[in-house]
Amino acid sequence: MTDMPANLARSNKGSHCGRVSVIAIHAFTQLVRMKVFYFLAVFAVIALASNFFDLPQHAGPESAGVNVLRSIKSWSLGTMTLFSVVFAIVATALLLPKDVEDRTLYTILAKPVPRIDYLAGKLLGVLLLVFVSLALMDLLMTAVLQVRTSMVLGDQLEMAQARAWSAAEVASLRSDILVHGPNWSLQGAVFAVFLRASIMASMALLISTFSSSTLFTSIVSFLIYFIGHFQADARGIFLGAAAGGSGLVTRLVSMLVALVLPDFQLFNVIDAVIEGKAMPLIALGELTAVGLFYAVFYVIASWFIFAEKEF
Amino acid sequence: MADATPAVEIFGLVKDFKTSFRRQMLRAVDGVSIRIQPGEVYGLIGPNGSGKSTTMKALLGLVAPTAGRCAIFGKDSLTVDSRREVGFLPENPYFYKHLSGAETLRFYGKLCGMRGRVLADRVSELLALVDLEGARDRRLGGYSKGMLQRIGLAQALVQEPRLLILDEPTAGVDPIGSRQIRDLIFKLRERGITVFLCSHLLEQVQEVCDRVGIIFQGKMVKEGRLDDLIAIEDQTEIILRDASPELVSQITALVATSPGAEVVRTGKPRTTLERLFLRETFRDEP
Repeated sequence: MTDMPANLARSNKGSHCGRVSVIAIHAFTQLVRMKVFYFLAVFAVIALASNFFDLPQHAGPESAGVNVLRSIKSWSLGTMTLFSVVFAIVATALLLPKDVEDRTLYTILAKPVPRIDYLAGKLLGVLLLVFVSLALMDLLMTAVLQVRTSMVLGDQLEMAQARAWSAAEVASLRSDILVHGPNWSLQGAVFAVFLRASIMASMALLISTFSSSTLFTSIVSFLIYFIGHFQADARGIFLGAAAGGSGLVTRLVSMLVALVLPDFQLFNVIDAVIEGKAMPLIALGELTAVGLFYAVFYVIASWFIFAEKEF
Repeated sequence: MADATPAVEIFGLVKDFKTSFRRQMLRAVDGVSIRIQPGEVYGLIGPNGSGKSTTMKALLGLVAPTAGRCAIFGKDSLTVDSRREVGFLPENPYFYKHLSGAETLRFYGKLCGMRGRVLADRVSELLALVDLEGARDRRLGGYSKGMLQRIGLAQALVQEPRLLILDEPTAGVDPIGSRQIRDLIFKLRERGITVFLCSHLLEQVQEVCDRVGIIFQGKMVKEGRLDDLIAIEDQTEIILRDASPELVSQITALVATSPGAEVVRTGKPRTTLERLFLRETFRDEP
C-alpha cells in the first residue's frame, strides 16, 4: 500500500450544488430501481382506453369527436395528477425514515454534508422522478391526442365539404377542434400538475422531519392535500371572522389553514384547459410563483426542524 | 513533524435524553472526557447501554451535548467542517441495497467532493484493501454480514480521513471476517490513522488498542494505556520452551528459597479458542 497522500477531501471540499445533485441523483436512482416506472404501462392503457370513452353529446354534428379529445385530456391529466401526487407524497415520506431506520443517514451525515444539502437532495430526487414521469406521460398523451385530433379534423372537414361550408366557417371549425388538441395550454396544465406535486412533496418532507413513520407522513399529507382545496374558504372565514367577532378557535384554525396551506383551487385552471380554454401566461406565472413560494417555505421549515434533530 | 492538536478531544461530555411522555431525563453520558492523540488506537469498552454509542454520536455531531464539548482535530464537532477529517462505521450498517460495492464507494466519495480519475482510483484501491474486488459490481443486497462491514469500513475511509470511528466493527461477523477487520485496523495504524473504536469484545480491543477507556452507566470509570491497565504489578511471567520436569523442579525449589517469593502457577500456556478456530479453518481452505 502506498503512503497516505494528502487528504483527498481537503484538496476538493465540494460545493453545495455538487452534494445536492449527488444526493438527488442517488434518490432518483433508488426510486427508479424500486421499479416505479411500471406505472407507465398503466398510464398507457388509460390513455388508449380514453379513446373509447365517447360520452353522449347533444351538440350538433360539427362537434362530433370533440368529446373524445376532451375525454383523452381529462383522463390523462386526472391520472397524471393522481400518480404525481401519490408519488410525491409516498416517495418523500419513504426516503427519510428509511435512511434513519437503516442507519445510512449516520454515514451520510458523518461526511461533510450539511443537513440542508441532504434534505434538498432528497426532495430534488423525488421531484426529478415526478418530472420525468410526467414528461413521459405528457409525451404519450400528446401523441395519442395528436393522432386523434387529426382523425377528428379529417372527419369534420369532410363533413364541412359535403355541406359546402364557406371558408370562414371551415376556418372556425378547424380552430374549434384544434383548441382541444395538443397545444401550449395543455403543456402549461401538465406543468401545473408538476407544481402541485412539488408543493405536496415539500409538505411531505416537512412532515417526515418530525414523524418517524412513512404511514403517518403519507396520511397527514393526503389530509392536508384535501384541506388545501378549502384554503380559499378558510381565508374568507378568517377575514370575515375578524370583522364578525367569531370565536377564537374558528379564527385560529382558519388563520392557520389560510397561512400555512396553499390555495389548491388556483389549480382549477387545469380543468379549464380540459374544456378547451387557453391558459393565460399570467395564470401560469402565478402558479409557478405559488409553487416556488410554498416549496421553499416548506423546505426551510423542514431544515429548521431537521437541523436540531438528534439521531 | 507530529501534529500537536489531539485527534479527538471530548471534555466533560454530558448527554441527557427525554424519556417517553417527557416526564424525566435519562442521563446517557455523565461527564466523560477523552483525549486521543494522532496515530493512537483507542478502545472504548463497556456493557450495552453504557453510553459508548452516544459518546461517538456526540463526537460526530449526530447528537448535541447537553454539556461539555467535543472536537475533532481542534474543530468543534457541531460544525460540518469537523467531518472532513473523519470516517465513521456505525453498528450494523445496512447501506443502500440497490447499489453495488463500487457505486456505494463512488456515492460517498462524491459526497466528500471527489470526482473523476481520483475517485475511480480511490474506489479500486479501497476495494482491494477490503478484499472486495470480486464483488465490486454486485449489489449490496447480496453481500454477507462480513462483506457489509468491510464495505462500510471502505466507505468510512473514502476521503482518506485522519480519524476513523468504528462502532462495534465486528458485531455479528464470523471469526474469519473479524480477523480481516482487525488486520485492516492494524494496517490503518501503520499508516498513521487514528482509530477510535467501541466494542464489548474485550479480547479484540486488547489486541488492537494502545489505550482504552472503560465506561459504565455513562461514566468513565477507568482509562489509560492498555499495558499499564492490565499488567499485574506484583507478578512476573517466565515462559520456557522444551523445559524438562527436572528443570521446572529446580526453578520451583530456587523460588522457594527466596523470601517473599512464591510460584503462583506452572503449566502449559494455552492458545485461545479463536486462534485454534482460525488455524484449523485456514488450513482446510484450498
